[in-house]
Amino acid sequence: MTSKPTIAIYSGDIPGTTFIERLVLGMAHSGQRVYRFGFLKAPVAYPKTVKVVGYRNTKIGKGLHLLYYTLLLILFRYKDKRQLDKVLKETATHLTLAKVKAYPVLWHRPDVFHVQWAKDLNNWMWVQRFGMKLVLSLRGAHINYSPIADAELAAMYRAHFPKVDGFHAVSKAIALEAEGYGAPKARIAVVYSGLNLKDLEVEKPDTASVFEIVSVGRSHWIKGYPYALDACKQLKHAGIPFKYTIVGAAHDIELLYQIKDLGLEDEVVLLGQISFDSVQLLIRKASVLLLPSLKEGIANVVLEAMALGTLVLSTDCGGMGEVINDGVNGFLVPIRSPKAIADKLIEIRELSAKAKKDIINKAYNTVAEQHQLEQMVKGMQALYGEVLNTNGKGHYG
Amino acid sequence: MKRSKKIKIGLVLIAVPGYSETFFRNKIQGLQAQGVEVVLFVNHFKQGMDRLGCKVVCGPNFSKGAFKTVITSLWILLKALFVTPGKTFRYYQLEGKDGVSFKARIKHLIRHHFLLTESVDWLHFGFGMLAIDREHVAGAIGAKMAVSFRGADLYLSPLKHPGCYDRLFTKQVKYHVLSASMQETLAGYGISKEVVRVIPPAIDVTFFDNTHEEEALPGLHFLTVARLHWKKGLEYTLEALALIKDQGLDFHYHIIGEGDQYERLVFAVHQLGLQDCVSFTGKLSPKAVKAHLAQTTVYLQYSIQEGFCNAVLEAQAMGALCMVSDAEGLPENVMHGHTGWVVPKRQPHLLAQQLQKVLGLSDPEKTVIRNNAVSRVRSHFNIEDQEQAFFKFYNEAESDY
Repeated sequence: MTSKPTIAIYSGDIPGTTFIERLVLGMAHSGQRVYRFGFLKAPVAYPKTVKVVGYRNTKIGKGLHLLYYTLLLILFRYKDKRQLDKVLKETATHLTLAKVKAYPVLWHRPDVFHVQWAKDLNNWMWVQRFGMKLVLSLRGAHINYSPIADAELAAMYRAHFPKVDGFHAVSKAIALEAEGYGAPKARIAVVYSGLNLKDLEVEKPDTASVFEIVSVGRSHWIKGYPYALDACKQLKHAGIPFKYTIVGAAHDIELLYQIKDLGLEDEVVLLGQISFDSVQLLIRKASVLLLPSLKEGIANVVLEAMALGTLVLSTDCGGMGEVINDGVNGFLVPIRSPKAIADKLIEIRELSAKAKKDIINKAYNTVAEQHQLEQMVKGMQALYGEVLNTNGKGHYG
Repeated sequence: MKRSKKIKIGLVLIAVPGYSETFFRNKIQGLQAQGVEVVLFVNHFKQGMDRLGCKVVCGPNFSKGAFKTVITSLWILLKALFVTPGKTFRYYQLEGKDGVSFKARIKHLIRHHFLLTESVDWLHFGFGMLAIDREHVAGAIGAKMAVSFRGADLYLSPLKHPGCYDRLFTKQVKYHVLSASMQETLAGYGISKEVVRVIPPAIDVTFFDNTHEEEALPGLHFLTVARLHWKKGLEYTLEALALIKDQGLDFHYHIIGEGDQYERLVFAVHQLGLQDCVSFTGKLSPKAVKAHLAQTTVYLQYSIQEGFCNAVLEAQAMGALCMVSDAEGLPENVMHGHTGWVVPKRQPHLLAQQLQKVLGLSDPEKTVIRNNAVSRVRSHFNIEDQEQAFFKFYNEAESDY
């Protein structure tokens, strides 16, 4: 192994989600050589240490990409290509597309191939046959609920998890879930998401004239918004003036119907996707950030709110209890309980300014102590180092 | 009423009703039995499909690429100009009076011209959303216009497409709804109740009857027959059952149906610790549904949004004890305390409390409720009455509505 191993951070698309891009940039800025394989969704501006091996998601784009790497492999690594073709024939559902994705990886052959989404794992088990170490991130839906309703997916996890060289868990809670599918505890590293605190404006404008509650997240049942709206009904019934904004849930017909059904048209606003800066502004202005989810790894939006100086009320789901200590640096309530949410919101509203300030300060300290970007990068480097230092050719077969 | 000539009705639907779409199948067959000629206007139809004894007129298919779309559009415009010039001109003029732009009028003409090709006495849109941008078709062909509203297109579509019925509600239309609650909702849009007829769904009471041979299964069995859709309130139902389980009650809950919320519901079952108490059977045949109904202790329909609900009628006809939410048409479907129980929606603890009370009733008390339910469904929701109601719907003199 050289002193500068190469790491492929694979999410399928380029750029990936905010937290994946944060990881890519964090690793790159630390001097790590990073590969990004996948289809090019939008232009990216990475540091020089990041090599993008992408293709346009068109027939021509994929065709040229495949042609180029097929030629390279035929000319210089024909034996490897034949071996990979044999594997893909056995495992791939769409053989040509599988080759488009796999050939560049076989050609560049990074030292570590880090798969970000567990549902993809089945497509990448082969990398171990060619000496690459396989690392899997344990994130959100892919671990928390999809395999519960999808027996085939659960079986795939049980078959492959014991063979993966290393796991990156975004929380201790999700690590435990993965152990249930056979992920060996010794190979799991819990590395919390990291924020660049310098990017976040911590000064809080005190402009909220009514009690302003904000939630941020995609429109999906796992986010538990119906429970938040049922809680809003209770707030309204208690005569408390408030405004509740859900960012990312515009046009959700279930929520639209519920808002009308509960007579909350004057209190609740659903917004679509808005810029990162606008989200930050909304969070900073809000009296409280509410996370009513049924399950989470650790929600990044909660970390951001804590860094931005906004009180956080979260359900005690997944890894949220690893960040929030109820009543100390934020607030936790049981999942699926509108009454608990409403009661806690009333409690928060009645806190003294001093008590709020105290909690906000402690929240900031929590993020500064365990969720900084540098800590995440170091954690990931340690995981890669451990995987690369493991003797033998990984855990395959 | 006099029947001077055979009435011809154009029924506008998305597709020819499939086997399980009993509402429209019953309606069509009932009208045919009364001597009414029914023409079906649909968006999709393939040769060889069941026509239900009707002439089927299919709309154009614009999903076969740009070139075919252009050719199809030109062909339709030629037909509009040379085969149906009068109707086309009237349609174009009427749309113009509404301030529809030239481009939109041509677009509407191309899309909806197939509706101008038949002469009918009534043009009846099977769903509210099917009448959008077609508000003047009936006027153009000299027909009367009728629109049926089901729960979803009255309660959900205007939220998804704000103002979608604004134009429709200014036209002379006779409406059909499933419940008095829906009639009230239309009144809220400024539609006179005089032009809205409530014709609830009907079921085959000879198939769903309480003289079955199946015996109730040992233990407590709860049942819901529903699409796995958020509006069916199954997550709230599961939360209520989790409360019941916490109180030490053993039961099994069967959910018959399929849908896009399967993952959400399976996760709820997992998170609420109900894995041993809940089964998802998928979609079953009417015969299998009937067998389940015969063996159930309590039928649950704790919906968030519901126009009326045939499944609850079927359950009552089978003599099952029914508990429903107060969503829209359900309180008219089940008479609280008489043919079953109605519980305020979105409040699982109230559902759990009511369920406990029902389970605590004596057998004679339960029998009274069962008998009331069977008797009411037989007398109020049978297919013959529905057929008569629809026949009357089309034959009432204009002055009567």
